[in-house]
Amino acid sequence: MPPVVVLTSRGDLTSIANDDTVLAVVVAWTSPEVSVVEAIAALQVPTIAAIEGPAVGIGVELALACDLRIASETATFQCPELPSAGGTQRLPRIVGRAHALELLLLGDAISAAEAQRIGLVSRVVPEGQALEEARQVAQRIAEKAPVAVRYLREAVQKGMDLTLDQGLRLEADLYFLLQTTADRMEGITAFLEKRSPRFRGE
Amino acid sequence: MSFETLLYHKDEGLAWVTLNRPERLNTLNVQMRDDLYEVVSAIRDDPEVEVAVFKGAGERAFCAGADLTEFGSAPSPVVARQVRWERDLWGLLLGLSKPLIAAVHGHCLGSGLELSLTCDLRVAADDARFGLPEVGLGIIPAAGGSQTLPRVVGRALALDLTLTGQIIDAQEAYRIGLVTKVVPRAEVFREVEVLARRIMARDPAVVRAAKEAVVRGLDLPLAEGLALEATLKLKRFAVRPAH
Repeated sequence: MPPVVVLTSRGDLTSIANDDTVLAVVVAWTSPEVSVVEAIAALQVPTIAAIEGPAVGIGVELALACDLRIASETATFQCPELPSAGGTQRLPRIVGRAHALELLLLGDAISAAEAQRIGLVSRVVPEGQALEEARQVAQRIAEKAPVAVRYLREAVQKGMDLTLDQGLRLEADLYFLLQTTADRMEGITAFLEKRSPRFRGE
Repeated sequence: MSFETLLYHKDEGLAWVTLNRPERLNTLNVQMRDDLYEVVSAIRDDPEVEVAVFKGAGERAFCAGADLTEFGSAPSPVVARQVRWERDLWGLLLGLSKPLIAAVHGHCLGSGLELSLTCDLRVAADDARFGLPEVGLGIIPAAGGSQTLPRVVGRALALDLTLTGQIIDAQEAYRIGLVTKVVPRAEVFREVEVLARRIMARDPAVVRAAKEAVVRGLDLPLAEGLALEATLKLKRFAVRPAH
């Protein structure tokens, strides 16, 4: 499993690309099913959805199951039917109750700009550039210490389901676990020596 | 009170805590952590203090993070974990009933940003820059940032910022809700004093009850939060004013 997974779809894209330089995997699907959404959500590495065109229904839910969503300025988002692949749970946790209900009760399509405004996507880029932006973000993440990246993602995602006190204990435990890794010494040493770190993933 | 790494100044109910290692960009070392624990305990216990403000000394930074020169000599994880909970500075800050304001200028990174996130309000000078670069060092935020940041800006933006380790400016911080106000550098401390005095013009018991209701309530289901609010209101009216 590479350090970051990038998901994108361009209509009937069916090929799977494995690009070692950016350490990202582009996964295409033609007929998404509920199990795919939860399989994405269950991945232990950061996931980025690169949304170029319209995201409708389960397309939105697939994007919601990812950690980050990057949209091109022409992308749109719409939930015309009652979600059944996690949308009623993930959408409000990401955009808040009011915006989630607005989207679900009205079923209107919203623009990428509006999606960014309400927090549904974190970045909007010119048309045709969503995948490239996602690759660049994936590249940045892939340069960080891999175990730290996984633990931070876990601390944030799991922590939001806990009380603040419980979340702080989770964070502390993961932090102390990282003190046993070689990458921590390498990261701090590299910083003090003003050079780039060479992480090994352990 | 005098400290090795902090300046502490009380002014008619308003406590100013200045992180005072400007030659090291106010980076948090073990001594500063201990000094902070002492001063925050004092703020909690001092009946004269109603609001506390945190700021950084020098021109360049609020606080640029933890002092990494101390990390080579860290004790074993088992010992470190025990120490973490014996003197829980971050829990102490997050559990404080009095309002806290961070007046941020310059670098606000790592545990510096995490310190500001334990405050209720963050006001930024226009030269402020914010980031959590920990994963680039092989660690994760350990002063609560993995929990407090998403609770302020939402989990998606928190993940974007922390996984990429990027640094954002004051305007971006304002846009995403990380800070509530951006002011010119020369005016930030004056603006924060005005803000603090406005809070202090109100009944301090009401102010503390409102903070408790919001902060504790966010961890509760709505029905229990409403019950908490009702309890605080009753407590308020049950307190006889001093003569």
